[in-house]
Amino acid sequence: MLPEGVRVTASCAIYLFDALQYMVLIVVDICCIVLCRGAFKIRGASNSIFALDDIQAAKGVVTHSSGNHAAAVALAAKLRGIPAYIVIPENAPACKVENVNRYGGQVIWSDVTMESRESTAKKVQEETGAILIHPFNDKYTISGQGTVCLELLEQVPEIDTIIVPISGGGLISGVALAAKGINPSIRVLAAEPKGADDSAQSKAAGRIIKLPATNTIADGLRAFLGDLTWPVVRDLVDDVIVVDDNAIVDAMKMCYETLKVAVEPSGAIGLAAALSDEFKESSVWHESSKIGIIVSGGNVDLRVLWESLCK
Amino acid sequence: MGSRDDDGQNAEGQGYAADINSIREAQARIAPYVHKTPILSSTSINAIAGKQLFFKCECFQKAGAFKIRGASNSIFALDDIQAAKGVVTHSSGNHAAAVALAAKLRGIPAYIVIPENAPACKVENVNRYGGQVIWSDVTMESRESTAKKVQEETGAILIHPFNDKYTISSGQGTVCLELLEQVPEIDTIIVPISGGGLISGVALAAKGINPSIRVLAAEPKGADDSAQSKAAGRIIKLPATNTIADGLRAFLGDLTWPVVRDLVDDVIVVDDNAIVDAMKMCYETLKVAVEPSGAIGLAAALSDEFKESSVWHESSKIGII
Repeated sequence: MLPEGVRVTASCAIYLFDALQYMVLIVVDICCIVLCRGAFKIRGASNSIFALDDIQAAKGVVTHSSGNHAAAVALAAKLRGIPAYIVIPENAPACKVENVNRYGGQVIWSDVTMESRESTAKKVQEETGAILIHPFNDKYTISGQGTVCLELLEQVPEIDTIIVPISGGGLISGVALAAKGINPSIRVLAAEPKGADDSAQSKAAGRIIKLPATNTIADGLRAFLGDLTWPVVRDLVDDVIVVDDNAIVDAMKMCYETLKVAVEPSGAIGLAAALSDEFKESSVWHESSKIGIIVSGGNVDLRVLWESLCK
Repeated sequence: MGSRDDDGQNAEGQGYAADINSIREAQARIAPYVHKTPILSSTSINAIAGKQLFFKCECFQKAGAFKIRGASNSIFALDDIQAAKGVVTHSSGNHAAAVALAAKLRGIPAYIVIPENAPACKVENVNRYGGQVIWSDVTMESRESTAKKVQEETGAILIHPFNDKYTISSGQGTVCLELLEQVPEIDTIIVPISGGGLISGVALAAKGINPSIRVLAAEPKGADDSAQSKAAGRIIKLPATNTIADGLRAFLGDLTWPVVRDLVDDVIVVDDNAIVDAMKMCYETLKVAVEPSGAIGLAAALSDEFKESSVWHESSKIGII
């Protein structure tokens, strides 16, 4: 799982959110926040990279990512001692690009569309022979992300519902497979931004829907489902709660002021979903008692945060 | 646990107002009311500091700060007769909320004297925990006299923010018990200093467990009364304070001073710019929202003053509250 020599100084910290009227337990993936400048992505990246044999690994790894996966791949590659080629879309947050540089990854810029990210990565792969570490549509990545759920259920075995941010579906696939593998009655809900609600549309349509464009402050949640993540989302995710950007910013503010934790918009969306009317009016809400929320990442540019909070 | 003896006097030459035993007793008393907070560390920050830093994150504590430790130890050590009339205190912030919360948990009234310039979020916390707010002027004299008046009118027990043996022995020292359980090989601890309650408890606990642990205070330049006191060999109070670290404006008391005088190895003084830089680093690297008073330990660890000291050369694993 996590490679040797990487020290986890605190496992997931669970805080009872006293302010709410129902029991909400927030999983702050603190070990990953400390480990890899800010997100759970190191789990999947290190699982993938350390599962490679030496021959595969020798030519290095390549990926395309709007942020946290990029840094995670750079860090895991550095720990393994192999090169990392990171394709980053032009609109990625500065702090996330900075993380890649700090971990020694080589940055290759692409346009903001998914097609450009994918074709640029493919080109790099052809030129270098590097292995593609997909941000989410890969069994090792999914399995790595799922470890956050193993920890959550060890720490709070009586969790009955888990709310997870959704983008490409890697995290929620891992969590859903882990959760229902341990306790099939656990409900797994996705939290998605209104301006990137492709997963909600996909579930409604019964097939993968991709959007022509996305528009949300949650920069980490702009990807679409893949052929490995879609079946899990289709079958094991009980519902998708869609929230708008204002609700996300309010949730960030609450995390900051009440939990004292710096989360990025994509990381606060689970709380936004838990507080939403849509959730409170659902049947799941009535049946839930102990809700785990994956607070997935903490990388947000201070200026962006300040401007959001000032609006 | 027995009722409190409330004379609050520190008899000369009879040892300090707390010890490792009273701190362990406190740990048992307050356990139902406080979080055991996590330790965070960062390889990036360690690279900048040149040492291994371990952050004991009391910003995640109930009511947002370590103060609940001392407040709950005081309030839950009262017998029912003492507790019935409620509790009163004066505080620029976090102690106020802590007393309000602990009183609410005990089911007794809390009268909280707050100076006019206290941060809005700290006043809000008091309201949320059901404390009754009584405003005073910003000077220490006004805070103290207003609290005394409330005490006379209501019969409530005064829960001092720091100069009280239960406050410092208990809660505050328990943070050090946890720190050393979590990271036993700590050799140095840096603690923010205001009235001295936290650092007294930490120093008594630390040196009670391992006398070779060094304890250093971190103080704002605009409120450097502790540094001046140690240099002068007696309590120095300043005519005014001027720092962004709103939680660090109090002066030493007669119970905290002997501990600071004898068991705190040095005081590192930092200016407000360094404090703000440290806050930014906490936010961006540790992802933790800390107040200025909470970030000052990191500011001290990164300061030139610290790096040029002999302690720095001997330290390897530094705990920062």
